Parts: sequence; C-alpha cells; structure tokens
Amino acid sequence: MDAVEYLDLLLKALLLAGVYAAMAVGMTVIYGVMKIVNLAHAGFLMLGAYFALEMFQRFHIDPILGAVMALPVFFLFGMLVHWILVRWLPKSDTPTLASLLLMFGFLLVLQNVGYLLWGTEDQSILTPLTLSSVQIGEISIAKVKLVVFVAAVVCMIVLQIVLHRSWFGRSMRALIQNPYAAKIVGVDDQRTARLTFGLGTAFAGFAGALLGMLYSFSPDFGRPFLLRSFVIIVLGGLESVSGVALGAIVLAVLETFSTAIPLPWYWHKWSFYYLPPSYQPVVPFALLVLVLVIMPKGLAGLFNRKWKAA
Amino acid sequence: MRKSQIFVGGHFRRITALAILLGGITFFPGSMRALAADDTITIGVVLPTTGSESKPGQYQKEGIELAIKQINDAGGIMVKSKGKKLKINEIFYDDGTDSKKSASLTERAMSSDNAVAVLGGYSTALGTAESVMADRYKTPWITTGAGATAIFGKGYQYAFGTLSPVALIGTTTGEFLGSLIDQGKLKKGLKVAIVVENTDHGVDYVQGFTEWSNKHAGYFEIVLNEKFELNATDFSGVLQKVKTSKADIFLSDAHLPDYITMHRQYLQNGLHHQMVSYGARGPEAGARQALGAGTDYIFSGIWWSNKLPYPQAKKFAEDYKAFTGHDVDSWYAAPAYDGMRILAKAIEAAGSLDKTAIRDALKKAQLKDSVLPGQVLKFGANGQSEYPFVITQNKPDNKVDIVFPKDAATGPPVAPTPNK
Repeated sequence: MDAVEYLDLLLKALLLAGVYAAMAVGMTVIYGVMKIVNLAHAGFLMLGAYFALEMFQRFHIDPILGAVMALPVFFLFGMLVHWILVRWLPKSDTPTLASLLLMFGFLLVLQNVGYLLWGTEDQSILTPLTLSSVQIGEISIAKVKLVVFVAAVVCMIVLQIVLHRSWFGRSMRALIQNPYAAKIVGVDDQRTARLTFGLGTAFAGFAGALLGMLYSFSPDFGRPFLLRSFVIIVLGGLESVSGVALGAIVLAVLETFSTAIPLPWYWHKWSFYYLPPSYQPVVPFALLVLVLVIMPKGLAGLFNRKWKAA
Repeated sequence: MRKSQIFVGGHFRRITALAILLGGITFFPGSMRALAADDTITIGVVLPTTGSESKPGQYQKEGIELAIKQINDAGGIMVKSKGKKLKINEIFYDDGTDSKKSASLTERAMSSDNAVAVLGGYSTALGTAESVMADRYKTPWITTGAGATAIFGKGYQYAFGTLSPVALIGTTTGEFLGSLIDQGKLKKGLKVAIVVENTDHGVDYVQGFTEWSNKHAGYFEIVLNEKFELNATDFSGVLQKVKTSKADIFLSDAHLPDYITMHRQYLQNGLHHQMVSYGARGPEAGARQALGAGTDYIFSGIWWSNKLPYPQAKKFAEDYKAFTGHDVDSWYAAPAYDGMRILAKAIEAAGSLDKTAIRDALKKAQLKDSVLPGQVLKFGANGQSEYPFVITQNKPDNKVDIVFPKDAATGPPVAPTPNK
C-alpha cells in the first residue's frame, strides 16, 4: 500500500473513532459518578438505533435529527430507570456485584422487549446519504460517516462544556472527588446521580442512533460495541471526556491498521506478515489485556482512580 | 387441644391438597407425553429464530412447518408397526444463534423429548455443533442449513444434510464466470479478489473456486485471498486490500449480516468490480431493503430460487405464501421443506419409529418430486445431498433472474456490471 492508501485508512479510522467516543462516553460518566459498570449500555444503544428508525419510517425525520431528538428522550428514560431501579443499589466506592447483575438483567429485559416490539429481523436505515461518498483524489469518504463524525464531535464538545461550566458539572466533580464532603456542603447526591444516569443514557441513545445509520441492527445489536466501550474506558482512563476520545482514537486506529501494516512474526522467523482480517476482533481483547498488565493495580486500580472531570 | 387438632388437621388437608396438586402437575404432562408419544411422531426442530441468524432460521422453520402441516392435513405418516397413520408432533427450540445452546437443545430433543429425528442446524457453525449429537444418541439428524463438507467427513452414521456441498458454490461460480469469458462478455485472465468468512463454509467456497480455476488455466488469477471473522463491524482494512489488489472480480462468501455490512462499506468506499458475489447471499429482501439499488447486479450461487421452472417449486412458493403470508424471497425455506418431506418418506419406508430403521431408510430415500434444483433429493454415502446450484443475479427494481445454467435461465446475465 502506498502513502495515499495509508492516509485513506487513517481518515477512516478517525471517523470510526468519533462514533466510538460517542458510544463510550455515556458509560464513562455513569461509572465516574456512580461506580456502576453499565452493562445495559448495549440495550440503550439498541433502543437508540430503533428510535432513529421509528422516527425515520413513521415521521420521515432525518436520522441525524432523530439522533439529536434521542438525547432528551433518552435523558428522561435514563432518569426513570434510575428512579425505578438504580437508586436502590447499595452505595459503594467500587463496582458491586449487585450493580453488575442488575444492569445485566436489565439488558436482557431491554433485548426481549426489542424482540417483542420489532421482531428478529435485521433493520437498516437507508437514506440518500447512506451509500454516497465524497471523492478527494484517490480517497473516498462515506458521507454518512462524515456526518456521524461531526454530530459525535459536536455532542462531545457540548458535554465537555456542561461538565466544566454548569452547576451540574461541578456537583459531579465534587461527588467524584469526595462524596462525603460534597454532601456536607450541600450537594444532593441522589439528584446528581439521577441526572448523571440520564446523561449517560442520553449519550447511549444518541450513539445508538448514529450507529444505526452505519450498520444494520436487530435487538441483539450493541453487544460488540459494549466490549469496545470497555476497552476505550480502560484505555482512556476515567480522567476526562478527552481521555475517552483518546482511547477511541487508539482503538479505532489499531483496529483499522492491524490488518494493513505488515508486522514481524515470531512464527514466521521474524519475517513481515499482515495480521489476517479474521484476527481483527482479537485487537480490542489484546489491548485490554495489555493495558491491564502494564497498569500495576490492574482494572481495580484503574477503577479506583478518581475521575477528574475538570 | 381441639384448636390444635383443627390446626394440625388444616395443615394435613393443605399438605394433602398440595401433594395432589404436585402429583397432578408431574403426572399429567408425563401421561400426556406418553399419550403423545403413542399417537404422534415427535420431531425435534432446532433453529435460530433470535440472534444474528434469526431471519434464515425463521424461514427454515416456516419451511419445515409447512411440510408438517401438509403431512398432518393428509392424515399423517403411515407407520406399519402401529397399523395406522400418525401425525407429526413438532418440538421446536430456538438456539438464539448460539452454538453451545444449539448443541444442548439438540441433545435435549434427542434424549429428554425422545424425538425420532431432529431437523435444523442453520448455519455451518451451529450445524457443526449439533452434528456430534446424532451418533451419540443414535438419532437421525438432518441439517437443513449447514453445507460445509467438514460436517460430513467425520464418518457420522446418523447425520444427513439437504444442502449441496458449499464447495460446489465456488465451483459453479467458476463455471459461470468461465462461461461469461467464453461468451466474450468478460476477458480471460481476470484478477480475482476473494474475501470469505473464517468458517468451514468460507474455506469450502474458496476450495471449490480454486479447484475450478486451477483446472482451467488462464481464466483467472487469484490476487487476494483473505478471511474475516463472523459478524464483523468494520471492513475498512480488508476492503482497502481489495482496492489495492486492483482485482477485476470481487468474490466473497458471507452470511446475511456480514453481506449487508461489508457491501455497504464496499459501496461507501467507491469500489466497483466487473462482477461481484457474496457466495450464497444476494437476493435477500433484507439486503435489498438495507442497500437499495446498491445490490443490483450482485450474483449468487444458491440452493433454490423461486424462479425455478418446476411445477412443484411453483406450488411450494404458492403454498408457502398462503401459509406464512409472505413471499418466499430466498432459498432458505426450500431445503428445510424438503428435509421434512424426505424424513416423512423415510419414516414411512422404515415402517416403525425405530431410530436406526429410520436412519437406514434415510440412506436409501429418494424424494422424486423435490422442489430443489435437479428435482430429486437423496443423500450420498457421507449423508450429504448433492444437486446442482443455480446462479441468480439481482436486477434493477428488485428483480432477480436465474442466469446460470442456461437451461434454467430466466434472463440474460449482465456482465460486466455497469459502474453507476
């Protein structure tokens, strides 16, 4: 491959990273404040995709606008889920088994509701943008990926502003740094947690709607992205939204280039060979293991770090 | 004292009532099963109706259930040892496109449910998982959706399959493209890029095409041969390699979700080849809905087409629509339909519900009014059937034509495909 082809791949990887970041950020904010590993994130992604589909098919609303509309709808839905289920979980500074089981159970409920409502068939959103591309010299960029990337980046910037400039953002930071002190100075932890869960769910719904424009989906949709979200969180750390963006870029670039750059292999006497595309799914797993090994305290150590939203 | 006796008596009555209830719960289903076992023929069906293979699995389920309905409406299957016709009692399990679940549900159907035979196993991965159970429980198992030869190369005695070997899709693809070269529609020495799923299905496809290519020197040059993992989400890397290979022909072998995802990215990358195929996938309504005109001119080697000119194939298409309320828009239902019909024929020939006798009858069975290409369905020595494939090509406005072999063709092949 020549330099132009590598540049082409790099652009595709960056566009993919935008979607990955939007997908993982919802999970990150929920973990940061509540120490809940939200396994139901995959279910919210799936519902987001179907939300965009329903808006598109029933009301002829453009899926990008549908994704934006998903933000308030899923925000309210997330707050409702928190009020009904999540607030009863025991408070803890570390992820608990109860929270894992609850969110996993809720994921299964969401999936089965999806099967009841939409059946088992794969669905797709086909718009004039879906198959068209922009040609810049030899490089071809899918228009839909460009639009999705821009939407994801704008939303991440808005989130960053909310976290930095609003009362809500300050409350979140206070709770993360010292929940006991935060409560003493008057931060309402239940209210902040409810809003945070709503925010995380809103981002999941938004990302799901964007993903629905890129892939076909069924009620089982979301699981492959759940693992990637995990990897991105671990990679970027829980420090900030920009950490998530960095993690997303690293994962997307490695996934995309893993099969395109020849590497020296021990099994081939250090000759240069491409990683077969069939091994591409190994990349996120390998990355996860690598990061955990390099970090002396492993996953627990990473989870114990304070998320400094500022 | 008296109060205590009443209390004890009340407890006793409650316990007795509970015991009767529990006894009833355990007795009645058991007795009903026994009754069912005597008056019906239990057939297990294990297919995915949820998960990534839910759509083909659902179509196959519908094919089997149509056959069961027709058999039962005709009074059932004559079983000589019982001296009467017995109706089929289907026990269906959804494996959720999970190979472990698929194997355990097949085991359950063969052991706990004591099914005289089990049908199912859509896709090669799930079929492979199920196949080990057949000989273990000495119960005939007919896969209606797994065509990889690896399943039938292990010497199983109770495993059968209604799909022609996948390698034959590769061979037929070679023959079809070769015929286009012979007709002057394509030029000799075409560069071919092959990207297949990392399963026995994909391996067989490549083997079939490569064998044909090697036997017919000068027709093709394979410039890329790669595999990808099932249910992948991003094909950027491998499609970049396809682009770099500067191939004339793009061949893939993929299941429906991967076909849709890969071809979407193929089009977004602005790729175009003289001919494009995704193996046995192409004309599915789901793909055409997802990609619209983007699927035009894709050709596929399939086990069945609703365009086949046989009267029984046309009747099957009509019956299927009446039964399900939707058209038979893909090949999946037909091998399942015939799988159930050949099993019924074998049970009748065996004259009993003895599983080994049914297995022996299956080995000799011939369905002479098969809806599949060639019109005769029978199993080879290894348990797998072998009949010709048809090549279809998608045309604009959701039309599909059989384009190969010539004697079954319903329209001419478009080659090379126009670059829109």
